[in-house]
Amino acid sequence: MEEKFIIDLKEALEIEEHEVALTDKFRDYEEWDSLNRLSLIAMLDDEYGVQIENKEFEALITVADLINKIK
Amino acid sequence: MSTNPFSLESKTILISGASSGIGRQSAISCSLAGASLVLLGRNKKRLEETANLLGPSSSCKIYYFDLTDEEAVNGFIKSINSSFITLDGVIHAAGVSTTLPLRFSSFDKQETILKTNVMGPINLTKELIKKKGALIDGSSVIFIASIMATVGEIGKTLYGISKGALVAGVKSMALELAPRKVRVNSISPGVVKSPMSASSAYSKDDESLAIIEKLHPLGIGDVADVANACVYLLSDASKWVTGSNLIIDGGYTAR
Ligand SMILES: NC(=O)c1ccc[n+]([C@@H]2O[C@H](COP(=O)([O-])OP(=O)(O)OC[C@H]3O[C@@H](n4cnc5c(N)ncnc54)[C@H](OP(=O)(O)O)[C@@H]3O)[C@@H](O)[C@H]2O)c1
Repeated sequence: MEEKFIIDLKEALEIEEHEVALTDKFRDYEEWDSLNRLSLIAMLDDEYGVQIENKEFEALITVADLINKIK
Repeated sequence: MSTNPFSLESKTILISGASSGIGRQSAISCSLAGASLVLLGRNKKRLEETANLLGPSSSCKIYYFDLTDEEAVNGFIKSINSSFITLDGVIHAAGVSTTLPLRFSSFDKQETILKTNVMGPINLTKELIKKKGALIDGSSVIFIASIMATVGEIGKTLYGISKGALVAGVKSMALELAPRKVRVNSISPGVVKSPMSASSAYSKDDESLAIIEKLHPLGIGDVADVANACVYLLSDASKWVTGSNLIIDGGYTAR
């Protein structure tokens, strides 16, 4: 689950070459921008059937938070 | 006929998407201008709420069904026919929005948005035109498009395609229906406060909202700004206006 999610996350954010840790704050990635934000939300919906409201999304800070959300 | 060219007295107007936002406000504004109404939406309760917002003397009928369901549309056409309802105008305000990067714009997602925003309203118009007496000669048909039909934004490919299709289609429909003096126009709003815009990606935080606000020199609009334009396009004041796309965007596309 965790492994697949990290692959999906890297693909959505187009950061395939990065190391990703559960404690990473994904908004701090250099590549983070408004398109990446949309891609991440779309990926959560497409791959995991998870639809997130804006407010809820703002409360998710780390990669681990995202994983908890899809569990 | 009233001497006020902007009056909708003695006109019957069909409004889709009347259970929310622009459609709901259009119902209120058309009713204030004197129109009788036929309201469409999917959610019965919210359609009734709209009806309750109209004055007690307003005449209004409610139908709830999904516009992408062809059979339901046919049933609706039969029903207005047997109730002897003839329409003087239509506002197609039903629609959905999406903000989706291109690489997530799957075939399914394309189909959903095109069905709701394009095929549903075009099919309803076609059925109304086909059914003798449903849409009277000299009536006015309005499609609520969007400035995303003419300008772009990240994540708005599918939405923009759907609205661009309406703006394009309006011109040919206007030519085809001109012999019947049926006028066909679109309105392209910028961002107005509604349940749709409130749930959009750009309303996600104060910072993004401020950016969107700044793109509109006159600030974010109200649903009434669009509804008032509908009243104009439905009224005899616009009897020489057809095939046009009225941009109501607080200056968004002025630059
Ligand atoms: N708000 C804006 O800033 C803005 C800007 C430009 C253009 N627009 C356009 O203006 C129109 C109205 O937007 P809004 O802001 O009023 O949106 P809204 O508040 O979300 O209302 C959308 C309406 O469409 C109806 N609808 C959606 N899918 C339908 C379907 N398959 N069958 C029947 N009814 C359906 C909904 O009915 P139920 O709720 O009953 O299902 C609802 O009444 C849309 O076409 C939108 O694209 C809006």
